[in-house]
Amino acid sequence: MRATHRSTRPFEILIIEDNPGDVRLIQEAFKETGLPHRLNIVENGEQGLQFLRRQGKKYVNAPRPDLILLDLNMSHLDGRETLREIKSDRHLRSVPVVILTGSSHDRDIFQAYDLQANSYIVKPSDVDEFIETIKSVELYWFYTVKHFLK
Amino acid sequence: MDKRIDQMEEKDVQITRMTEKMILIGFGLAILFWLLESILAAFAFHKGSFLSQLFSAEPYQLWIYCLVLSILVIFGGYAQAIIIRLKETDRALRESEAKYSALVENAKDGVVIIQDNICQFSNQAMSEITGYEVDSIPGMTFAQILTPESTYVIEEVQNYIARGEALRQAHEATIQRADGTTREVEISISTILYNGDPAIMGIARDITDRKIAELKLKKQAQELERSNAELEQFAYVASHDLQEPLRMVSSYVKLLERRYKGKLDSDADDFIYFAVDGATRMHRLINDLLAYSRVSTYGRPFEPVDSTEALYQALANLQATFTETGAEITHESLPTVLADGSQLTQLFQNLIGNGLKFHEGTYPEIHITAKRDNGHWIFGVNDNGIGIDPKYKDRIFVIFQRLHDKAEYPGTGIGLAICKKIVERHNGTIWVESEPGQGSTFYFTIPENGGNQL
Repeated sequence: MRATHRSTRPFEILIIEDNPGDVRLIQEAFKETGLPHRLNIVENGEQGLQFLRRQGKKYVNAPRPDLILLDLNMSHLDGRETLREIKSDRHLRSVPVVILTGSSHDRDIFQAYDLQANSYIVKPSDVDEFIETIKSVELYWFYTVKHFLK
Repeated sequence: MDKRIDQMEEKDVQITRMTEKMILIGFGLAILFWLLESILAAFAFHKGSFLSQLFSAEPYQLWIYCLVLSILVIFGGYAQAIIIRLKETDRALRESEAKYSALVENAKDGVVIIQDNICQFSNQAMSEITGYEVDSIPGMTFAQILTPESTYVIEEVQNYIARGEALRQAHEATIQRADGTTREVEISISTILYNGDPAIMGIARDITDRKIAELKLKKQAQELERSNAELEQFAYVASHDLQEPLRMVSSYVKLLERRYKGKLDSDADDFIYFAVDGATRMHRLINDLLAYSRVSTYGRPFEPVDSTEALYQALANLQATFTETGAEITHESLPTVLADGSQLTQLFQNLIGNGLKFHEGTYPEIHITAKRDNGHWIFGVNDNGIGIDPKYKDRIFVIFQRLHDKAEYPGTGIGLAICKKIVERHNGTIWVESEPGQGSTFYFTIPENGGNQL
């Protein structure tokens, strides 16, 4: 079951999150797994799409991520719009998108899946749980899931 | 009014005098006839002296006297009977008029009679409502005592009269008083005959105070609704927006604890402990406040809910505690009510949860009842727990009010406040009957028809 397909390059993760506190927590959580990974961090949906489409000088050499962690409530193109853009772009829609948000609103959950989100995770308010959740996300997408490799 | 009664009494005396006169005239005429007969007999026909004629009447003459006298007395008596009857009718009429006139004069409602658009009659109350002298109202037009906005009443009345329909209706109108101020009245209008011609009678009741009170009440209700909505919004926004920074605070102090506990000195460990503890408590309070405000903001429309189902769902949610305490839960047959199903579940869950939590000694026993009472269902949740001192029976429903030490019975004190809010949203009431050590029974009502949704 454990397909270690990533011996050649690190697991590329794009984090689209406007709260630096959360970014750091995600980073801390990933640190604890000890898996070879690289975190690419952008602050909003607009930058996220530029990264994914390698638009602008900054993102010319941006790698294609293996996983996107997307926050919902952000200024400058929020998570819903970003998700809609990604999933309607045939070059990008195969990249798994995990929604990581503070909202546990039914409406948000439904809307996210309706827009083809690959999973929806509510940020646990307890830091231990938060770290455990991030770890499980990484392990799941790193080991459990079979990825399409270009 | 007194003048009129005086006039009537005068008339009465006149009638009595007239009757007396008629009988006297009857007698007078009889005597005169007798005298004339005697004079004629004595001087014209020379049948003896006048006196002999007067006192020695012949039998046929006596007959005639008797006949004339009888006719006159009968006529007089008959006339008197007629006059007495007339007098009685007149008195009855007078009394009736006096009665009605007293009614009209002393009525608290203003009365006005209008003919050809001109006021013909008004009472004292009308004068008080309009501020015009009672004698000055007759002669005024109806429009003169109404505000321009209220003259539609006249038009409507005229339309009715033009169609020849009998009229009996009430309108709200505004009176334009003599001093320029206004009074709100309710005018009942009917068509009557006045001096033989059709007229309109308006009975005006001053409802200004009622109107003012209604307006005030309405304003207060709106104000209350607004301030409640504002408070709800505040509670929601405050708790919702506080979540995010608080999550940061608690996350990072916990991360500090996770990484550095035992690695710094004991002071640092203490400080971290208090920071973590404070953040945790704050987090719980905010969550509870959010749950509290969600009772109204996320409430669903009422629909028929089988309260047994709601109870079972509540028990399923409490499964862990339930098994842990070895509680025994029984219930009577429960009705289907119009309610928000998930809130009814939460209500049962909080009340039963309290029964399980505030308990010592043997296993908890909880019994749920329902009975119908005067348009309501009264639900009862009875436990054999530690009970509540009756003096705290109101305080326990206030948000974040706790009666016990946190170490003894944990919790923020939100459960019953949420229960109260849920019950009130369902137009019901909640109360407790309890004695310390005797267990508690929480009762709540739900209207059978669901009441008006709040």
